[in-house]
Amino acid sequence: MTSLQKIRTVATFEFLGTVRRAGYLIATFGMPLFVAGYAGLIAIPAYYTAQQDREPAVHGVVDQAGVLRLSGDVGAESGPLVPEEMRRTLEAAGQADALGSAMTSSRFVFRPFGTVDEAREALTARTIKGFFVLPPHYLTDGGVAAYGPDSLQVGGADPRNALRDLLRERLVSERLDAVTSERILHPISHTERFAVTASGEIREDGGAASAVRVAVPLAFMVLFLLSILMTSGYLMQGTAVEKENKVVEVLLASANPDEILAGKLLGLGGAGLLQIGVWLTMVLVTGLGIVPLLLSARMDVPWLAIGVAIPFFIVAFLFFGSLILGTGSLGSNMREAQQLAMVWSLLAAMPLMMLMVLVREPSGTVARVLTWIPFTAGPVVVLRASTDAALLPWWEIGGAFFVLLVATWGALRLGGRLFRVGLLSAGARPSLREIIRQARLAN
Amino acid sequence: MLRFEEIEKSYGQTVALRGVSFDVQPGEIFGLLGPNGAGKSTLIRILMDIIRADGGRVLVFGEPRRRQDLDRLGYLPEERGLYTRQPVLDVMTYFGALKGLTRREARARSLAWLDKVELPHVASWRVDRLSKGMSQKVQIASILLSDPDLCVLDEPTTGLDPVNVRLVQDLLAERRRSGRTTILSTHHMNQVEALCDRVALINRGELVVYGTVAEVRRRHSLPEVRVQVRGPLPAVPHVETSTEEGDGHWRLLLRDGTAPNVVLTALVQAGAIIDRFEPLLAPMEDIFLHVVREGRA
Repeated sequence: MTSLQKIRTVATFEFLGTVRRAGYLIATFGMPLFVAGYAGLIAIPAYYTAQQDREPAVHGVVDQAGVLRLSGDVGAESGPLVPEEMRRTLEAAGQADALGSAMTSSRFVFRPFGTVDEAREALTARTIKGFFVLPPHYLTDGGVAAYGPDSLQVGGADPRNALRDLLRERLVSERLDAVTSERILHPISHTERFAVTASGEIREDGGAASAVRVAVPLAFMVLFLLSILMTSGYLMQGTAVEKENKVVEVLLASANPDEILAGKLLGLGGAGLLQIGVWLTMVLVTGLGIVPLLLSARMDVPWLAIGVAIPFFIVAFLFFGSLILGTGSLGSNMREAQQLAMVWSLLAAMPLMMLMVLVREPSGTVARVLTWIPFTAGPVVVLRASTDAALLPWWEIGGAFFVLLVATWGALRLGGRLFRVGLLSAGARPSLREIIRQARLAN
Repeated sequence: MLRFEEIEKSYGQTVALRGVSFDVQPGEIFGLLGPNGAGKSTLIRILMDIIRADGGRVLVFGEPRRRQDLDRLGYLPEERGLYTRQPVLDVMTYFGALKGLTRREARARSLAWLDKVELPHVASWRVDRLSKGMSQKVQIASILLSDPDLCVLDEPTTGLDPVNVRLVQDLLAERRRSGRTTILSTHHMNQVEALCDRVALINRGELVVYGTVAEVRRRHSLPEVRVQVRGPLPAVPHVETSTEEGDGHWRLLLRDGTAPNVVLTALVQAGAIIDRFEPLLAPMEDIFLHVVREGRA
């Protein structure tokens, strides 16, 4: 029987043994429902808060400086600033309404009061939420007094922003012409963006395209980390089962540790990836609305990054999986195994933690160095291929992949030895000296 | 079939095996004996390539053992179990497939072996539903279903009732009839006498007894015969002492170098009417105890 056949036999047994388990099926299909239900539960108070924000909040203004000159209630809005690129992309995709409903503005009404006492009475009667006093010297020093109720005010939009906008508009419109006023109030109404390629060519560069360029590596990093974290549980369990069920020696008398390790990695890793695949499919199916958005925005899809992402994902997954399985098997129980294997999960998370540095300088020294380190190569190469493909030569992609392949082979060998030591050590965790000695004996 | 040549193995300062050498012949049931911690399990693990020897070599099927030979070897360790959350048939099929059988073949053989061990009804059961005895028989069947040319069984009958012990013994005898070799590691000396052709006894990492069961027993027996006579026992030469055991039975200790047939002839010539005459061989258990205690002394 060849080594590959043994690996396949172990992988099939582990995969089927895992995916047929009730716990696995519940987690795979029940988790999205649980998350949806949980999100729904959280959304209810958020919805009511948003509804409250839509009700105009009346604030009083005592204009002693005479800059506003209000004759009656004046409405004003204050909302989150949506980046122009995102707004245009969504509008191009016909999602302007969705944007409008998602990005709700808080509405304020400013009501004039002649004196502070009148405003204070209104606030005492709670007919207004608060009031501002613009003192006579406002124009010279910009100071404003704000009065509110003595109850705790948490969250909600700040009426000062709305008042600031109203003041700006009134100050400018009465002193300057309409065009100048408009430019001061909205200095940049829209931007046309262009990108200059490495060969000097100029092409249109929508901000949305930039977003996709970051989104691809970001999705890779998140998905990769999620895969490592999710499957490490299965991998840990897989090493504990043999010890628990005392089938270690029977197994080792039939296949060598490398074959068992590789089989477990493929079988249990496959089960973990399948689970993530199911979740991802559910997310994609429920989020199909994004497809017309992407199509209508005519984004530049970073095909190179997507192309390299697949092989790098698979090999990097095997690399981390071997190390997790090998070190995890040294633990005398599941908790110890998880503690031992945690270091690999932290290393897998490193590119995500350094994302801002990498995005700012995708071809900088940090990114170039991390390209050659097996722990970070996958995400960093994908990021560089996505954000700055022109400065990522083929030999760097090939070289990094080769280094990762060699490291994976080494990790499989090391993992196999640790796996043998771990499996044969019953009870307490073997000491480092013992591990090294046993690993050498496995030669 | 199998040869251990000068096998050496130490764990740190502890010497587990010191130059152990012996052969196992094709088609025999070979008893591997020794007290706890003698080095038997270490030797078996070296044979199965689970651990490596520090010195010496293992020849299997006439050649230095190769990794692929494992497909022709079976091993039931003393510390054993099954995947408890899986159905019995799946686990057996898995073990068979790991030995090179196709899944279909492994499945068919698993069902046949469940029949053989009188457990056809447990095929779809989860392993954790099996009783200890059932689990034991399923483990034995899992190892034997690939029909290994050489099989090592470490205490295969521990925990089994006498009926199932006999069942396992019959399975081993059947293997012998079909020319398969079995190494039986056990502390049940009655099984050794009943089943084994040859034995090796390891004590403190050294081979101290080796040979056919009959030879070993002879070698370690006093020159004694038991005789049953009608009437009084006549005095004959070459007998050192005679002890009456009742009901016409006598135990005669012969002088050194005296063959039992010499005494038998002398008794007949002296007019004794003999109903039964048998040379007495030391039981394996006595030999085991004697050798091990001597080693400790």
